Amino acid sequence: MLNNKNIYKPIRAKLTDIIDESSFIKTFVLIPEEEFSFKTGQFIELSVDGIGEAPFTPSSSPLVTEQLEVTVMKTGYVTEYMHMMKPGEYMGIRGPYGRGYPVEKFFGKEVLILGGGCGLAPIRSLLYALEAVKDKLVKVILCYGSKTPADCIYKPLFDRLNRTDKFETYRTVDKADEGWDGSVGVATSLLNKIRINIRNAIAVVCGPPIMMKFGTIRLLEMGYPEHDIYLSMEKNMSCGLGKCGHCMMGEFFVCKDGPVFTYSELKSTPDIWK
Amino acid sequence: MKLELDVLKKIRFFDDYSEKQLETIAGMSSIKEFKVKDILFEQYDELTDVYVLLEGCLSLGISLAKEKRIHLGTLEEGQLFSWSAVFSPHISTAWVMATCPTKVLAIDARKLNLEIEKDCGFGLKTMTKIAQTISHRLSDTRFQLMNQLTL
Repeated sequence: MLNNKNIYKPIRAKLTDIIDESSFIKTFVLIPEEEFSFKTGQFIELSVDGIGEAPFTPSSSPLVTEQLEVTVMKTGYVTEYMHMMKPGEYMGIRGPYGRGYPVEKFFGKEVLILGGGCGLAPIRSLLYALEAVKDKLVKVILCYGSKTPADCIYKPLFDRLNRTDKFETYRTVDKADEGWDGSVGVATSLLNKIRINIRNAIAVVCGPPIMMKFGTIRLLEMGYPEHDIYLSMEKNMSCGLGKCGHCMMGEFFVCKDGPVFTYSELKSTPDIWK
Repeated sequence: MKLELDVLKKIRFFDDYSEKQLETIAGMSSIKEFKVKDILFEQYDELTDVYVLLEGCLSLGISLAKEKRIHLGTLEEGQLFSWSAVFSPHISTAWVMATCPTKVLAIDARKLNLEIEKDCGFGLKTMTKIAQTISHRLSDTRFQLMNQLTL
């Protein structure tokens, strides 16, 4: 039977709350008008009527289906408009698309998550998912770097996770301010601090391309096998269906084959860190 | 201060050292304590000890001119620094300052070098680990430089 469903038509979602995470990052709380669920690491296309759409990985728990949270950094025309929106207005959601984190493969292992900047948004969703299955994990270590203390998003999340059994979090900033007494340096410098059993561990890297490059190199030096390093590739996803080719990276459509890949899948791909 | 072997066993740098090798290290090491704002060494100082941060907080940086200190970052517990002490001309490439009460393991670099020459297995292991430390510092500095360019 022919399926007449328009795959490009978004679901309407009401904006119920907007949380200021930093001066240029906001989290939008949305209630979709139709049933909507996603797997952690999958992405959606978020749209505003008459303005445009852009890809985002939800930052909320994949276990919560009645509402969705999307963290948006102000970087261009669409996101600037989104930052001016008010609760009560509507956005559109298409998706979810792509391949997320294979959480079941993390069972029985130590999970190291290396994140930077706005890369913490998809990581937050993963952390919620891992928290729900923490009994099946050995431990979860989050190492996160932001440019300044003010740029660090989800601050209460760190406090909460540090009080959660099996979770450890470490933060660093590139540039400290008066009130900061924590680590100063790039995210990879936090790897000097942690203890992890590489033989029974996997790693997840998500953040700006430069951080992903240096982070992956360091993990390989630490002895992580290539297939145990998961990279969340945020490329220029557009259609979400592997049709338009905007997000093509070597032989892969990031929107369809990713956005989560293992390093072993991508290592031969040219320009993966661009 | 007498050095307990357990102190060394907790340091990741020494993870795959044998008990005998740890005893050798302990024999050439001491624990030093520093107060807030104590300078462990200045850039261009001649170094005699290799340090490992045991507890506390240390800032590392470079000086462009007198009074002009540039803070590059902090050191993490268990991290080895002051590696220039092992290599001629033994001159520090950075300054390190305590920003809270701090304890470090100080390894006598002259004695360490003698042991490296005497015991090839120990020497290879130690030099490999020091090279990794330097490599990581270099990699972090490149990463930091790129980040700074986009700040």
